[in-house]
Amino acid sequence: MQTEADYYALFEAYQRGELAAGERASLEARLSAEPRLRQLYAEFQDVAGTLHAYAERRRTRHKIGALHEAMLAAEATPLVETAPALTHSVNPMLRISRTERRLREFWSGHRATVGVAASVAVLAVFCTLLGLDLWRSAQTGHSMAGYTMLRRELDKIKQNQRVLSAKLDGSTAVPVNPGKFGGTGFALTADGYLVTSAHVIKGADSLLIESRNHQRYHAETVYSDVKHDLAILRIKDAKFAGFGKLPYTFKGGQADLGERVYTLGYPREDVVYGEGALSARSGFGGDTAFYQVSIPVNPGNSGGPLLDGQGNLIGVLSGRQDDVQSAAFATKSSYLVRLVDSLKNKQTTQPYHMPHANQLAGAARSQQVKRLQDFVFVVKVYEQD
Amino acid sequence: MNMDSTTALAADAQLIKAIHGGDERALSQLYRLHWPMVSHFVLQNSGSEDDARDVYQEGVMVFYEKVREGSLELSCQIKTYLYAVCRRLWLKRLTTKSRLHGVRLLDEEEYGPYLNTGAEDDLQEAEERDRRFATMSEALTHLGEPCRSLLEGFYLLDKSMLDLTAEHGYTNADTAKTQKYKCLTRLKKLFFASYKEA
Repeated sequence: MQTEADYYALFEAYQRGELAAGERASLEARLSAEPRLRQLYAEFQDVAGTLHAYAERRRTRHKIGALHEAMLAAEATPLVETAPALTHSVNPMLRISRTERRLREFWSGHRATVGVAASVAVLAVFCTLLGLDLWRSAQTGHSMAGYTMLRRELDKIKQNQRVLSAKLDGSTAVPVNPGKFGGTGFALTADGYLVTSAHVIKGADSLLIESRNHQRYHAETVYSDVKHDLAILRIKDAKFAGFGKLPYTFKGGQADLGERVYTLGYPREDVVYGEGALSARSGFGGDTAFYQVSIPVNPGNSGGPLLDGQGNLIGVLSGRQDDVQSAAFATKSSYLVRLVDSLKNKQTTQPYHMPHANQLAGAARSQQVKRLQDFVFVVKVYEQD
Repeated sequence: MNMDSTTALAADAQLIKAIHGGDERALSQLYRLHWPMVSHFVLQNSGSEDDARDVYQEGVMVFYEKVREGSLELSCQIKTYLYAVCRRLWLKRLTTKSRLHGVRLLDEEEYGPYLNTGAEDDLQEAEERDRRFATMSEALTHLGEPCRSLLEGFYLLDKSMLDLTAEHGYTNADTAKTQKYKCLTRLKKLFFASYKEA
């Protein structure tokens, strides 16, 4: 009985054609007759064939590897002879330096990451800019570009005046804290409530109300509505005995376009009268809480009352537009009335007695002003230094 | 078909004939000719110089083996065929190593018709063969000494039986031969066992 190995020896000899004619014939006969032997031969062929092919593959791989090395070497020492006469188009070899190649590899490997990083950076920059802008506009309220709030810095004027007075009488003026900002305010009720603009009292540490005859009262802020630029103050002096009966009333509805309007205010140390017409029923940037009026106003006019010909209070002066000739803005009195109504519900400590009777209607303008000026005050604002 | 591609095909046919006949210079020429294309392609598609080299060598191997067997059925230029093979190979590597799911390759316009070159089938065949060789190599390592060195010496390193007899200290060539056949039967068992199981 022959072993498998013996058969393998036989098969190999057969494959190489080393068998004698008789032996070969007998093997071929057996192969066609015996399925088991045929299978054995197939297996032998498979294994030996794979081994040969594997050897061939290793040689090929080695050969091709060598080709690459040879090619690189040929590249390093540039050949003068041009490529053998080949008729088809030859791709030009890309000549790139080592650094450039590295850069290219880096770029092709990381371009997605770089792209994402760049977009994040751009996004961050824009978010920051936008956020800063929003923050700043939130800080400044509605003093937008081209809009000036009319509160007055008092230091400058006071100092100028002091210099002036020093020249006149040669004596040194008594240094008094002149207050930092000033505006105008007017009586809301007879018993000590006043109205002014919210921006006038912004950042106030203490408030001083000064009447035309230099009567001074300390006041406190009751409520400040920055959005509509309104503030309600109350006099807190114990000796304060009331303003007396208010001659004007507050108009709850809207005033008409073209109505003659006037104001009293303190853009300087003395009370100043200004008049004009109601020129639009919306304010800066189309803000419907404001009127536009054609009254020449100056810093210090803020918080001043705006009255129509019949002596109805229709607004509170707030600001002006710089690049437009005499365009001043005033908060509509309807917002003031609404604010007072809402405060009535919330604060019951001291009730609001709004005036009901108008004593100015029908009087001449100069008479109206004479009555009115006792109820318009300078609001001086002190900030903590 | 225009003049250009006709002459190109004629040149290709000449080259294939030379390689089939065992002309090393022809193979070297072919290798140098198409390297820039493949290296450019791989570098373009987030590969390195070494990646390009591996892919290209693999691709040339597929081509070379087909040519040597005489079973290459080329329906396009060699350039296009190689591009198709290498493209396929690189795509495969990219998908296995890339974390991104969809890999999209930047292709050169001029190799447009790479999808119907028959390269796909050839590549599959080559991969099947690769798997076979890998199994064989593994079977050889599991065979143990002295069988492994005996068979490797004979089949892979082309040593003569006489050399191997001396090397392994057999008394004569016949003993070595008998030993070789025994080893071969063992290798057969190992090889079939793991190849079929895989």
